[in-house]
Amino acid sequence: MISEEIEKLKKEVWETFEKIQDLSHLENFRVKYLGKKGKITSLLKSLKDLSLEEKRRLGKELNELRDQLEEKLKIKEREILFKEEDKDLGLDLTLPGRAFPVGTLHPLSQIIDELCNIFSRLGFEIVTGPEIETEYYNFTALNIPDWHPARDMQATFYLKNGALLRTHTSPMQIRTMLERKPPLRIIAPGKVYRCDADVRHSPMFHQLEGLMVDKDVNFADLKGILTYFAKETFGEKTKVRFRPSYFPFTEPSLEMDIECVICKGKGCRVCGEAGWLEILGAGMVHPEVFNAVNYDTEIWQGFAFGLGIERIAMIKYGIDDIRMFFENHLLFLQSFK
Amino acid sequence: MKVPISWLSEFIELKESPEEVAEILTMGGVEVEAIENPYENLGNLIAVKILEIYEPEGLKDLALCKVTDGKEIYTVLTTGKTQVKPNLIVGLAKPESFTFSGEKVEVKAIKKFKSYGMFLSPYEAGLGEEKEKLLLLPEYSPLGESIYKILGISETVLDLAITPNRGDLLSILGVAREIHTLTSWKLNPPNFENAIKTGKKFPGKVEILDKDGCFRYAGRFFGNIKVKESPFYIQKRLWLCGLRPINNIVDITNYVLLEFGQPLHAFDWEKIEDKTIFIRRAYPGEKLFMLDGVERTFNEEDLVIADAKKPMVLAGIMGGEDSGVSENTKNIFLESAWFNQKRIRRSSQRHRITTESSYRFERNIDPEGVVLGLLRASELISKIAEPEIISEIVDIYPKHFIPPQISLFNQKLTKYLGFSIPSEEVENILKKLGQVRRSGYGFQFIPFSYRQDLKIPEDLVEEVARIYGYNKIPSSFPKSTLYCQSPSKILIFEKKLKDIFKSLGFSEVITYSFIDPKTLEKLNLEKNDPRLNFIELANPLSSNQSIMRTTLVPDLIETACFNFFREVNSLKIFEIGKIFLPTEDLLAKEPLHLGILLMGNANRETWYENLRKFDIYDLKGYLSSLFEILKVNVDFKPYSSETFLKSGVSFDLYLDGEKIGFAGEMKNLVLKDFDLKTCVFIAEINLQPLFEKMETLEREFIVKKPPKYPSTFRDVTCIIKKEIKIKEILDFVKTLSIPYLEAVDCIKIYEGSPIPEGEKSITIRFWYRAEDRTLKDKEVNEIQDSVAKKIFERFSAKPR
Ligand SMILES: [Zn+2]
Repeated sequence: MISEEIEKLKKEVWETFEKIQDLSHLENFRVKYLGKKGKITSLLKSLKDLSLEEKRRLGKELNELRDQLEEKLKIKEREILFKEEDKDLGLDLTLPGRAFPVGTLHPLSQIIDELCNIFSRLGFEIVTGPEIETEYYNFTALNIPDWHPARDMQATFYLKNGALLRTHTSPMQIRTMLERKPPLRIIAPGKVYRCDADVRHSPMFHQLEGLMVDKDVNFADLKGILTYFAKETFGEKTKVRFRPSYFPFTEPSLEMDIECVICKGKGCRVCGEAGWLEILGAGMVHPEVFNAVNYDTEIWQGFAFGLGIERIAMIKYGIDDIRMFFENHLLFLQSFK
Repeated sequence: MKVPISWLSEFIELKESPEEVAEILTMGGVEVEAIENPYENLGNLIAVKILEIYEPEGLKDLALCKVTDGKEIYTVLTTGKTQVKPNLIVGLAKPESFTFSGEKVEVKAIKKFKSYGMFLSPYEAGLGEEKEKLLLLPEYSPLGESIYKILGISETVLDLAITPNRGDLLSILGVAREIHTLTSWKLNPPNFENAIKTGKKFPGKVEILDKDGCFRYAGRFFGNIKVKESPFYIQKRLWLCGLRPINNIVDITNYVLLEFGQPLHAFDWEKIEDKTIFIRRAYPGEKLFMLDGVERTFNEEDLVIADAKKPMVLAGIMGGEDSGVSENTKNIFLESAWFNQKRIRRSSQRHRITTESSYRFERNIDPEGVVLGLLRASELISKIAEPEIISEIVDIYPKHFIPPQISLFNQKLTKYLGFSIPSEEVENILKKLGQVRRSGYGFQFIPFSYRQDLKIPEDLVEEVARIYGYNKIPSSFPKSTLYCQSPSKILIFEKKLKDIFKSLGFSEVITYSFIDPKTLEKLNLEKNDPRLNFIELANPLSSNQSIMRTTLVPDLIETACFNFFREVNSLKIFEIGKIFLPTEDLLAKEPLHLGILLMGNANRETWYENLRKFDIYDLKGYLSSLFEILKVNVDFKPYSSETFLKSGVSFDLYLDGEKIGFAGEMKNLVLKDFDLKTCVFIAEINLQPLFEKMETLEREFIVKKPPKYPSTFRDVTCIIKKEIKIKEILDFVKTLSIPYLEAVDCIKIYEGSPIPEGEKSITIRFWYRAEDRTLKDKEVNEIQDSVAKKIFERFSAKPR
């Protein structure tokens, strides 16, 4: 009987469907049951000899089966295709990727940037100035007259015309104060030059000068600003200490040390067993300097500081030969990516 | 400044260890650079045992000893033939060590006998007077151990870095006073109660002619002295401070200089013509043969001590060879003076002489210490040199030093420090530095005469703060005016360029601003090239850093060399830095330049890519990207005029008709002069005009929107003559005013078979788009056909 055949077919269809593994199985299945000469199609055709009622009943049953099958096949097909994309293509995924060359800024540029950012956050404005200077700006206006033994502290390169290569960024204090009226708050990074060359000294190096002038910025504020700078640069836990020192253009003068980053204060070769590393010099602006720029010392007071960029880079990155900064070996440069 | 703890202890009761004292000094502003034991610095001076003794053949005055340090056996030759015995333990200075007298011990050979070191006498060990005796060590001394450890002898010396303002610390007494100031430990100042203050009439004449150069001049005559070697304790103290003993008189002057900081000078009385001493300006051209063996010519700025006929001493700096004390000297004149620090400094700079004496005069001495120094020296001379006659002291002091009176107001102190120190404490601190009197809202203060550095209230602020303790003053943040600031535009510009190059894969370099003039020669520049007009250093460290750079090219190439010879064959670097051009003025023009260098390969050899060498299109491409980002129009004019570039592979760069730089391949011959055998592409641009252009440029910022209708493209492929430049075709296309044309680009160039010699095949792609509709194929074709036809006609092109 046809209805028995239909029952049998249904069972066969679902059993076969479950066994479909890949697209060719699926295609065979489609042809076998749903194709023009497929079993379901044939059965449908053979219904034409039956009674109207049976035709309707069985026809509906077969059509439903066909629709169901087509629906299920669609899902099955997507499943198979989806899986097929996971197939191992035999690629060696351990090969390196296509690299894009990565550039790098010079470590000194990076330190200068970092310091400029720190001081910018404190409202300091960045200024620059000439590297070839006169005696006046480099020494005299900074309270270092020609007979002053403090000139020994800075071995100077002179030019044949009598000018000189600035030995520090401090002339920028004078240049800025002559140009502007107080209050002011500036930093001046740049190259400086001294006749000195060994592992620790380069004839050209970089400094960053800072100057703040206002009605009552004081020594305690200077300590505050410098402590903030040290912690931002070397880490929140950095310990600092202040020692009295001498610079002709500041009074009182100080030097700031940080606890040695290598030995954490225990004493090592880098810090000369002291446990501390000298980082910068600073002080309250000397009244003679204010006199040189016609600032009224009854109203204005301020502080100045100067630090060596190379020194900070050397401490931060553990570099023991300053010359490496100016040899520019690619491997050295690329380590600062 | 070396300060032996043993000497220092004569003037102050040290209540802490040398390490603690060093810490106190450092935190008080007197930096201790090192704590040394000079005995240890001598090297290997060790205990050895004599095993056997021989008489070396043909050297009958010597003994050859076999000795052991417990590990090895050495042979040592000695003149102490009668003193050596087997089993004695003696001190041996091993090769490479030093002895007290400053001699470096080396392996010596006499005839065929070698001596691995030298037996020590107590003198050479720095332990006592005896020079002839052998230093004998206790019987059970551990062999090989340092003799000083065995004898339990050590000296501690603090090495101080004295800042230039503190001339008063250049003496043992000065350091003792400073420690007293910082700690209040008990000071034992020198006692002059029993000093020899009077004497016979001074047998000569002293006159200060240059009162600007000499403020005070004192002296004394000593007759019938014995010039000889100093007693050991004087020699040892000089040695601890790093000075060499000479004879008792010279040693005493040095001893007093170290102890009190007062420089002294001893003259041989017989050499003083007419027994007259003038302190005067040198006559121009006056000459003196000086103690360092150099004859110097003076001018009127120099201050000399002269007799009736000739200069004898460059005052405060160095004596003449003739007038000094020698073994034959019988009578001396001892000088103690206060010279003008500025005059001494200028002379010492001009003649390039720095001595212990000039160093102290330059930093100023204690005016009231002049006679005290003389008294101290008299005491030592009378003890050591056995003078038969001592004269009275002559002391010419025309204008007495008047110390400044300084007012320090409490309010000033507090405002300066941002912190208030109790008045009692301020007073106690100031009392240690001078005479202090409370007055109104502060203090009236007169510094002690040795504190020549204290002049203004700010100096007192520092003294109070440092003695109170910098670290006891709290930190704060400024309570300051807020004001607007405009950031430096050139710095922002510079930073932008750096970031662009970083993102293009370049590494930044920083090179020296001074270069070797020879490197400019290598560039083959034309004679009148402005880059040959450079600024020269007067005192360069070496000739290869003797001029200020006028171009970045030499530095970049040398950086390439440095890398090339250290296994870096490929390089992609840039530098932004100043060059220096002379002006009429003292100051220079310092324009900021950009330099770029490409060397070797553009990529690395990898599994996915073959090596490709950098070529001119890499350089042009990077520069184009830069100009695109900066939105400036820079023309690449082919065939640069730079002599060091290959003309056919180079451009000059023009901005608004002005040359701002160049880009191209370096000539091989030029590179060869730099010893570089590879291809280098280089560019240099003056950033100043570029920056100014950007400043003036009206920023026409065009925001592109996503198009509504699709575009379409058509290609023209044709064969043209090889000489025709793509730019000519693209320029021609521009003149055609083609409708709907959005973009045009050359996408393919081919030369070689089957294209005939002297011709090339090119493909130019035209992009069309209408803003308001989709273009029809037909209308695009019509436009394109007409364009193609015009191109074919204009360039006599053939179809491919
Ligand atoms: Zn350390």
